[in-house]
Amino acid sequence: MISNLAVAFLNAVVWGLIMALIALGLNMIFGLLHIINMAHGALYMLGAVVAWYLIEFTGNFWIALVVAPLFVALVGILMEKGLLRSIEDKPITTIICTFGIMLVIQQLVLTIFGGSPRRIAAPIPYRFQLFQLQYPLMRVVVAIISILVMVGLWFFLRKTKYGLWMRAVVQDREMAVGLGIPVNKVYMWTFILGSALAAFSGVLAAPIVSVDFMMGREVLIMAFIIVIVGGMGNLEGSVIAAIMISMIQGIGALFVPPAIATVFALAFMIIVLLFRPQGLFGE
Amino acid sequence: MFLHKGKSFGFILIFSLILFIFIALPFFIDLFYQTFLTELFVWILFAISFDLIFGYTGLLSFGQALFFGLGSYTVTISILKMGLNTELALLLSIIIPMIFSWFVGYFSVKLSGIHFVIITIIFALIGNIIGETWTAFTGGSDGLTFSPPPFRLGLFKVNLIDIKGNYYFVLALVALSYLFLRRMVQSPLGKVFISIRENEDRARLIGYNVQRYKLIAFLIAGGLSGLAGGLYSLTLKYAAASYLHWSISGHAVVYTIVGGMGTLMGPVLGAGIVMSLEHYLVNFLQATDLVVGIVLVFMVLMAPKGLVGLIQSKLKRKEASA
Amino acid sequence: MPETNKTILKLVDLNKAFGGLLAVNKVNLSVQKGELRALIGPNGAGKTTLLNLITGTLRSSSGQIFFKEKEITHLHSHQISHRGIARTMQITSLFSGLTVFENIWAAVQSRKKFFNPFIRALKWQDVKEKTDSMLELTGLKDKAQLISSELSYGDQRILEMGIALSTEPDLLCLDEPTAGLNSQESMVLVKKMRNMLSGQTIILVEHDMGVVMELADNISVLHYGAILAEGPPKEIKENEEVKKVYLGSEHA
Repeated sequence: MISNLAVAFLNAVVWGLIMALIALGLNMIFGLLHIINMAHGALYMLGAVVAWYLIEFTGNFWIALVVAPLFVALVGILMEKGLLRSIEDKPITTIICTFGIMLVIQQLVLTIFGGSPRRIAAPIPYRFQLFQLQYPLMRVVVAIISILVMVGLWFFLRKTKYGLWMRAVVQDREMAVGLGIPVNKVYMWTFILGSALAAFSGVLAAPIVSVDFMMGREVLIMAFIIVIVGGMGNLEGSVIAAIMISMIQGIGALFVPPAIATVFALAFMIIVLLFRPQGLFGE
Repeated sequence: MFLHKGKSFGFILIFSLILFIFIALPFFIDLFYQTFLTELFVWILFAISFDLIFGYTGLLSFGQALFFGLGSYTVTISILKMGLNTELALLLSIIIPMIFSWFVGYFSVKLSGIHFVIITIIFALIGNIIGETWTAFTGGSDGLTFSPPPFRLGLFKVNLIDIKGNYYFVLALVALSYLFLRRMVQSPLGKVFISIRENEDRARLIGYNVQRYKLIAFLIAGGLSGLAGGLYSLTLKYAAASYLHWSISGHAVVYTIVGGMGTLMGPVLGAGIVMSLEHYLVNFLQATDLVVGIVLVFMVLMAPKGLVGLIQSKLKRKEASA
Repeated sequence: MPETNKTILKLVDLNKAFGGLLAVNKVNLSVQKGELRALIGPNGAGKTTLLNLITGTLRSSSGQIFFKEKEITHLHSHQISHRGIARTMQITSLFSGLTVFENIWAAVQSRKKFFNPFIRALKWQDVKEKTDSMLELTGLKDKAQLISSELSYGDQRILEMGIALSTEPDLLCLDEPTAGLNSQESMVLVKKMRNMLSGQTIILVEHDMGVVMELADNISVLHYGAILAEGPPKEIKENEEVKKVYLGSEHA
C-alpha cells in the first residue's frame, strides 16, 4: 500500500512539475500579452515530436531537450509577429485564431509524423528501490530539471534587465513605453519564452507518455485550468496549483477510478472559478 | 435593389430558393450524398444554435458539444434501452439537454470572458469523461447502435431507416428551427440578446437582467444543440462518447466564423462550404482539418465578419456607387 | 442638505473601501426632487465611485442608500434602473455596433416586462413611437440609421444621454458629460441639456466649473471621499476651504 502511495505521490509531483512548466509558459503569454493561446498544447506536442526526430538523427536525448524548444520558439515568433500582433486587443478573436493555429499544427504533424503514437526511450534507464517497488530514476531527473528551470526563470524575471522590463510592461504598458522600454521586443521575447517552455515540457514528458499528435489536447485544458486557479499573471500560483491539481488527480486515482478522480479535480476547478475567479492566489 | 423593399422580401426569396434546391436534390443525387447532406443539416442546426449564443449574445461556449452529445445519447438510449417511440425520444433530446444547459448555464453566466470559455469547456470535459467511462450505459468509445422505429405524428409517418425519408425529416426540422431562431433574433427578446453582446455593462445599467437573459439564450441553444444531436443519432443510428468532446464544439465555431457570426445565414453558408471542402479534400489529404484551420485563421484575421460580411459589404459598395 | 418630504435620494453614512483605501468616506447627502446637484472635487475624490454606489455597479462597504423613501443599498444595478435611476458614463458607453435608432430602442424597450420571442420587434408600436420621439428630443433623428460608433464624439455624448432618458428615470446621474469637449462644444451640449433635461432631478459630476456654476442649484464638494462643503453655487464659490482644495486646477 505504502509503495503504491509513494509511487502515486512521486508521479503526481513529477507530472505536476511538468504541468507547472507548461502553465508558466501559458501564464506568461496570458499575463503579459493577454493572449489566450489555444495553440499552447500544440506547441507542447510539437516539442515532443521535434525531439523524437532529433533523437532519431542524433540518438541523444539531451541535444533534443535543448534544440527542440529553440525550434518551437521560432514557430512562436512566427505566430506572434505574423498573426497575433494585429489582434492582440481582441480576446475572442485571439481565442479563435489560436484555435485555428492549433488545428493547423496538429494536422501538419499528423501528415508528417503520422497518427500512431511513438515512444522515446528514457535516456536514463535506471530504477531505484522505493519501498516495495522500483521507481524510474528518469522521472526524478525530470522533476529536478523542472525545478532548475523554474528557479532559472525566477532569476531571469527578478534579477535581469529583460525580466524587469517584462514585469514593467505587465504592470503598466503605457508607462513602460514612456520609459523607453522596447515593448514590442518584450512581447516577442515573452512569446518565445512561453513557447519554448511548452516545448521543453513536451520533451521532458515524452519518455513518460508517448509522442502522438493529439497529446496537446488534454494538456491544454489542464494548463488553462491551472493558470486560472493559480491566478492569471501569478506565476508562483501556477506552480502551486499545478502540483495541487496533479496531486488530487494522482492520489485520488488510488482510491477511486482515475476518471472519477479527474472529474473531481474538474469539479473543484468549477468551484474555484465560481467563488474565486481571480484564482486561489490572485488578487 | 430588392433589398430596399425590406429585408424580409430578400430573405424569403433566398430561403425558399435554398429550401427548394434541397427538396429537389434527392432526385438527382445518390444515397451517399443524401446522407452527407442530412449530416450537413444537422451541423447547420448545431451551428445556428451556437450562433444564437455567440453571434447574437456574445457568449463563446466551447461546451455546446455536451448538449449535442446528450441529445444524441438521449435519443439512442430512449429507443434502445427504454423502448420509447421515436417522437418521445426526439422530444426528450430537446428537453434533457435543456435541463443540463439550465444547470451549466446557471453557473457559467456568472462569469465572463476567458473564465466563461473555460468553465464551459470543463463541463463538457466532465461529460466526455463520464461518457467514455460509464461504458455500461453509454457504450464508451465504441458507442451504441440502434434502429429507430418510424416517426409518427397523427396520421403522418416517416420511416427513418429509409435514407430519403430521413433526409426530408431532418431537413424539415432544421428548416423549422432556422425559422424559429430567425424570428427570435428579430424579436424583442433577440434585441435584448444583441444589446448584451454589444455592451453588457450598458445593458445592465438600462435595466436588463443580463444573467437571466444569458441563461435564456443558453437554454435555447442547449435545447437546439440537443435536437441536433438527437437527429444526428437518428440519421447514423449510432451514438458515441466522442460526440461529447469539446472539439466537436469547435466545428460550430469554425462554421459560424467562416460564414459570419450573428447572421444565422452565415453558419449555414459556413457549414456548407467547410463541410464540402473537407469532403472534397479527403480524397487528397488525410489531414482535412489542416485546411479548415488555415481557412479559420485566414477568415478571422482578414474577414472577421465572415463570408456573409464580405457579401454584405460588396452589396453596400454596389449600392453606394449606383 | 436638510431633508424635506421632497427628498428623492438620501445617502446615509455611506462608505466604500478598496482594501485599505477609503474611496467614499461617511458620505451623507440628500437630493430633492427637481434639483440639479453638482458633485465636484479633484481627481480621485471619489465622485465616480459615489455614482457607482448609487447605481449599484459597486457594493458599498457600509451605510445606506434610500431612493424615493425605499432602501436600495443592496440592489443590483438592473433593479436600481427599474426603481428609476439612470446614468451616463464618463467614458462613453454605447452599443457601439448598433445604430442610433437601435441604441435608443434598447433603452426604451427595457421598461417593458415581457419580451415576446415570436413577434417582430419593429412591429411593437408603443416602443417604436417612444423611440421616435426620443430621437426627436435628442436631435439625432436624421442620424438614426448611422452606426453609433461613427457619430462624432459630441453626438455620442448626446446619444448616451438619450439612452439614459429613455429609461424614464426619476433621477439622472451624469458623469462628466462635457469630458473631452472643447468650450464651444460644451456650450452646445449644455444648451441641449437644458432642452432635454428640463424638470429632471439630476446629479451632475463635472470638472468644468463654468458649466457647474451655470446649471447647478446646489453643489456638493467631495474631497478624499468625504463631503467637504455643500451649498448653493454662490456660497461654494466663496468657500475658503474649497478654494484651497482647488487651487486653480479648474477655471471658475
